[in-house]
Amino acid sequence: MSLVAQVIAQSDAADRFLSSAELNKLEEFFSKGALRIQVAQKLAANERKIVEEGSKRFWAKCPNTPSNRGDAQKTALCQRDQAWYIRLISYCVLAGNDKPLEDIGLNGMREMYVSLGVPLNNLRIAMTSLKEVTAGLLSAEEMALAAPYFDRLIRAF
Amino acid sequence: MQDTITALINPADAQGQYLSDAALNQLRQYFERGMMRVKAAATISATASQIISRTVAKSLLYGDITLPGGNMYPTRRYAACLRDLNYFLRYATYAMLAADPSILDERVLNGLKETYQTLGVPIDRVVQALNAMKEVLNETVGSEAGQELAGYLDHIIAGLS
Repeated sequence: MSLVAQVIAQSDAADRFLSSAELNKLEEFFSKGALRIQVAQKLAANERKIVEEGSKRFWAKCPNTPSNRGDAQKTALCQRDQAWYIRLISYCVLAGNDKPLEDIGLNGMREMYVSLGVPLNNLRIAMTSLKEVTAGLLSAEEMALAAPYFDRLIRAF
Repeated sequence: MQDTITALINPADAQGQYLSDAALNQLRQYFERGMMRVKAAATISATASQIISRTVAKSLLYGDITLPGGNMYPTRRYAACLRDLNYFLRYATYAMLAADPSILDERVLNGLKETYQTLGVPIDRVVQALNAMKEVLNETVGSEAGQELAGYLDHIIAGLS
């Protein structure tokens, strides 16, 4: 559910036309529309780089972790998951809220990683590393649209 | 409810893909008209009751329907008519903002025709009022938003017919 759908649902639940606060929210959202698309495109184009550079940073800070124990298959799976989170963040930037991340990637996430034996603490460091690399690739204005979702992701671990 | 953004994200996610260039182009067009839509929604929020009054004046007020024996008589039924027109306007506004008619199907049209038939509401007069609302909206919010809103009011008309 995008920000637009969220605002409409809220207004509908109160049985009224949109309030000025709700209209302002939508105006703010649409005013950055072109930038949102640009950020989504940059995240898609740089996904590999973000994950590769992010892994290097992560392993430097946290060398003893499942993705760095010489099991190529496990490393690939961990990096695939990280790439998925970049993709979900690109959806959030377009949707204007963290619902795509919540619904697709955070609901049940802790249980899954605990069951897989991946330490949540390490994952937090990994996701922080992805954010750092992304911040180096996007302009400050672009990063301002993506950062809240990286933060939401980091907080989840 | 479905909206344009979610409708593009969900199939991309089902494929594990970023949004395609085609999907991003659709989104770009949606975003580009966003401000125009918000502006129209703001005008509607501020003037809804006038829009409804003018709609009634254009379509129903001077007909038999407001006289004894008509479906807008007595005042209780007149007020019910105003309330329904208000719903149509509000949901058409939501649909315009989402650029998606699904909220009309889910929240307005689901069971509406049957309800009207049971209550003996003359559907042709409802349609007449909705057509008048299109004209009033065109004058109130301009032709660009007016045309989009007309599309959603037509969706309601189609669902009632």
